[in-house]
Amino acid sequence: MASPACTALPLKARETLEAMGQADILFGIPSFNNAATIGHVIRAVKVGWAKYYPGRRAVLVNSDGGSTDGTQDVVKRTLEEDSYDMSLVHTPSLPLRGLTIRYEGIPGKGSAFKAVFEAARLLNVKACAVFDSDLRSITPEWVQLLLAPVLEKGYGYVCPFYRRHKYDGTITNSIAYPLTRALYGRRVRQPIGGDFGFSGDLVSRYLEKDVWETDVARFGIDIWMTTTAMVEGFKICQSFMGAKIHDAKDPGADLGPMFEQVVGTIFSLMKTYEARWREVAGSRPTAIFGFQAEVSPGPLHVNVHRMIEKFKEGFDKNQAYYEGFLASDCYTKLAEVREMCSESIDFPKVLWVKTIYNYAARYHDAGDKKRLLDSLIPLYFGYVASFVRETETYDDYRAEDVIEELCEIYEDTKPYLLQLWTERVSEE
Amino acid sequence: MEERKKILAIDDEEDIRFILEEELTDEGYEVHTLGDPTQALDTIEEIKPDLVLLDIKMPQMSGTELLGKIRDRYYDLPVILLTAYSSFKRDIACAASDYYVVKSGDLTELKERIARIFKVKI
Repeated sequence: MASPACTALPLKARETLEAMGQADILFGIPSFNNAATIGHVIRAVKVGWAKYYPGRRAVLVNSDGGSTDGTQDVVKRTLEEDSYDMSLVHTPSLPLRGLTIRYEGIPGKGSAFKAVFEAARLLNVKACAVFDSDLRSITPEWVQLLLAPVLEKGYGYVCPFYRRHKYDGTITNSIAYPLTRALYGRRVRQPIGGDFGFSGDLVSRYLEKDVWETDVARFGIDIWMTTTAMVEGFKICQSFMGAKIHDAKDPGADLGPMFEQVVGTIFSLMKTYEARWREVAGSRPTAIFGFQAEVSPGPLHVNVHRMIEKFKEGFDKNQAYYEGFLASDCYTKLAEVREMCSESIDFPKVLWVKTIYNYAARYHDAGDKKRLLDSLIPLYFGYVASFVRETETYDDYRAEDVIEELCEIYEDTKPYLLQLWTERVSEE
Repeated sequence: MEERKKILAIDDEEDIRFILEEELTDEGYEVHTLGDPTQALDTIEEIKPDLVLLDIKMPQMSGTELLGKIRDRYYDLPVILLTAYSSFKRDIACAASDYYVVKSGDLTELKERIARIFKVKI
């Protein structure tokens, strides 16, 4: 028998959850071929729950996308093992109930999360925490860091705040963080961090939205969750988690669909929340919790030469396309950057911001949105290569100052976006 | 006529409080000063400032600890952290401040930051 329409939870999982009754906390872990790392994540969550919330009824849901590497077997084994004694925590009197499911719907992280949300609603939980399954630096403390602000301080949404290598998270650093901050006025440093805490009320709000046939069902989920929480009035904070060590990638390597889905979701939300962001000027910080400790995120090799080559090739291939829709001042300056580019590159920050604003304004009437976003990728490589050149002798902290400078340019250049938007979108 | 913005400057050093009061009053702000950070929450409740300037290193209580208490009670009250040392910026607690300004005899940067905060619309 098929599951009810528009659900990501298979019928059997739904029945299992219904039989569980109510719970206080739900842990959600999406996965797809993460057999090598997911066991560690589950152990950390189990011990964290036993250490900080042993009296709270908790359920762990692994929402898998059809792994073929034995991920779900690892989940089952790790759920059954006794992780407590070796970690010097008492075995809780209540068991941590857990299940691994194969979610239904469009393959992607967002659909995996939808199944987690549905499970949370069925169990009527007070709080949820979700964790990426490729984490190597997760500790039991992450459980408390993501749940305590919700359970004990009345926050609706908790974002992670990590120390990351200066070249890890370049989509975050060059687009997702500064653009979201400039649009909605709230500084959330890792809006697509992957690990979040949130209230049961926010789960209900997420499930009201009709977004599950869009990029939100894929990698757009993180920025969509953060933006929705931010714009719809849920109290937001950040928790300092230490270093994020995961399967980080060279930003010059293939971006795959992630870039398009994240950036496309941000642009798409700009239409949804137009009335809100148009009124915002500047930005405000967000409360932060957690214990300060010096941490090192570890090395990350970046191939600048490859990024510059991709910029040059991509620019040459898309030149006519760029000229067709970018504002002339923006296009002319991009062409100058291309002209001057050899083994090195200097991509001015204000030009990068204006480029993003041109794309944002164009997105809504673009017939082929994928084509549009594809054409942004070479320019993104050019900007990131320039950032790497500028910061190659800097430590992570000083590189952070450069990102802060970029954020202020996004904020200060917002009138340019408003002008483009008024000309191109509002008149539709 | 627009009401003057109220600034509360909290610093254990009297000389710094004096300079901040003099210069920022000249800029058109209504400036209140406080030398004892343990009185900060009561003072904020009493005068309801539009902005707090907060020294990081004070003997009775660190500025970052006080910042956490301010954020807990007054989620959206703007705070600028002041310090003699830029290395304090590595403390993640500083991320909850609006800005972080290294103390200097020249208050240009601080004045720019204050002006920027008062232009914020959320």
